[in-house]
Amino acid sequence: MAVKIFGDGIKRVAVRPITPDIYWITHCLGNHAKNYYANYFASLPNPEDYAGNRIVDYPFSAFLIVDEKSLLIDTGAPTQRENTLKALDYVLGDKSLDYIWISHIELPHAGNAGSIKRQYPKAELVTVKGGDHYELHSLEDALQVSPGDVIELGKHTIEIVDPLFVDHGLSQWAYERTTGFFFPADWGHNLHEPARNQCFQFVDEMMEETGYSSELFIDDVKVNAWYQFPWLKWTDPDEIAGAVDKLFKQYDIKIFAPSHGNIIRKDVDQYVELLKEGMRQAAKMPH
Amino acid sequence: MLRNITADLYQIGECVDGEHGHEAVRVYVLMNNGRPILIDCGSHLHRAEVMKELENLLTGNTPEYIFLTHSELPHSGNLHKIVSKWPDIKVIVSNIMLAYIEIAPVLPLDQIIPVTAGTTLELAGRTLQFVDALLKDQPGSQWIYDPTTGTLFTGDGFGYYHPAGACDVFSDEREDGIPAEYFREFHRTAFRFLRWVIPQRLNDDLDKAFQQLDVKVVAPSHGNAIRGDIAIHLERLKETITNVCMDYRNGGN
Repeated sequence: MAVKIFGDGIKRVAVRPITPDIYWITHCLGNHAKNYYANYFASLPNPEDYAGNRIVDYPFSAFLIVDEKSLLIDTGAPTQRENTLKALDYVLGDKSLDYIWISHIELPHAGNAGSIKRQYPKAELVTVKGGDHYELHSLEDALQVSPGDVIELGKHTIEIVDPLFVDHGLSQWAYERTTGFFFPADWGHNLHEPARNQCFQFVDEMMEETGYSSELFIDDVKVNAWYQFPWLKWTDPDEIAGAVDKLFKQYDIKIFAPSHGNIIRKDVDQYVELLKEGMRQAAKMPH
Repeated sequence: MLRNITADLYQIGECVDGEHGHEAVRVYVLMNNGRPILIDCGSHLHRAEVMKELENLLTGNTPEYIFLTHSELPHSGNLHKIVSKWPDIKVIVSNIMLAYIEIAPVLPLDQIIPVTAGTTLELAGRTLQFVDALLKDQPGSQWIYDPTTGTLFTGDGFGYYHPAGACDVFSDEREDGIPAEYFREFHRTAFRFLRWVIPQRLNDDLDKAFQQLDVKVVAPSHGNAIRGDIAIHLERLKETITNVCMDYRNGGN
């Protein structure tokens, strides 16, 4: 399956398979990005210091694992609701959706849970255990899971992962044991350039075909962390980098699939040092 | 539960009950000489009560602005209803927020106004200061300071769980204000990034923020207004932050 695109502009949603059974369902603005992200780097302290200073685009992604049981990681936002539902129908066809797993309850991650549940009424909502007052987030009926818990899908097994770096209190990450697919939600982002046709590309394609680089990757991780995790300014950069090391020792990550970045599906080990360096630099940025 | 806090500032909204006690979900209203400004718009769970209290309070005046401390559902859950009733209302959000996707598509995007922390604006004839939220529930969180009443609206910061029977009690109506242990569980769950934080650094920034503003009232979205003894409550919050950070360091989660 090549890239299949539904809609345009702020409503655009694309589907691309990452493996034969794992699908990337993503929204980004494409040619409209310049209207929204022109000041993305200009808003930073010392904007002239960033190698990555360019007109970028920013994906908002969900992931669908199709197996004996199917599981959707996050739901996309209401602005893309209609096309997200079309994308799910395109991939699933007559198959059922069994789980809607919510990494955290921000609108771009959980905002279509109700609509998807209506389209697939047998799907079970799954969210993070440890909070209180779930009814405030319309999650009072959700199955609650903790780090280490697993969801068996057939060939695939989702393990809930302790979310190291969070922008919302009730968050979780996920790891798929068979493929090494890792979902770090709002951490580890990279940016892409519509002008270089990088929308929906995998990072190896961006590196080999459309001018992306390790230098840009570090800057993107850094800049996104600055926006996403402003609390980094109160941390020890080496401790943060050490946590990244520990994560990659604990999990055999072969596919790195953040909510807001293009997918790293090859040579993930080569990105560990870049992720560490990006986080270390982010923690040292003025705020 | 409509109550006057001070001068032209009111709080409305209800509570939910849970394992750690009651959690208030507040909407604050500055009456502002007939040009009301709302801070947050409450939970969808309390829609009927919030709308009724708003109508009773506003007595025919049309609110001109809503400031969203952040876009999470308990803070924006009645946006659709409010926009339906007052379609010209403008929504103020942090410039860090990407409105087209982080705000429910229930109003034209040109009615959503991004504001940068550190700026002062005159809105509906009232001067308001937009403040970097030191305790962010989401990256697009922002605090707002109203110099007229000396009120700092802190979103999830300074939130606390309260026991049954204290749902509409202000801090000065309790014998010793809001105790630090009320803040603790709320801040532990709302701000899990505290696992990495060196507490002294955050507490120093809190001190600086409060030194720059003449805060007479702290208005958290998940608690009743803290009226008076601000220095004491700031110390309790800092103590809470230190304890939560230490809890995480000692293996808590």
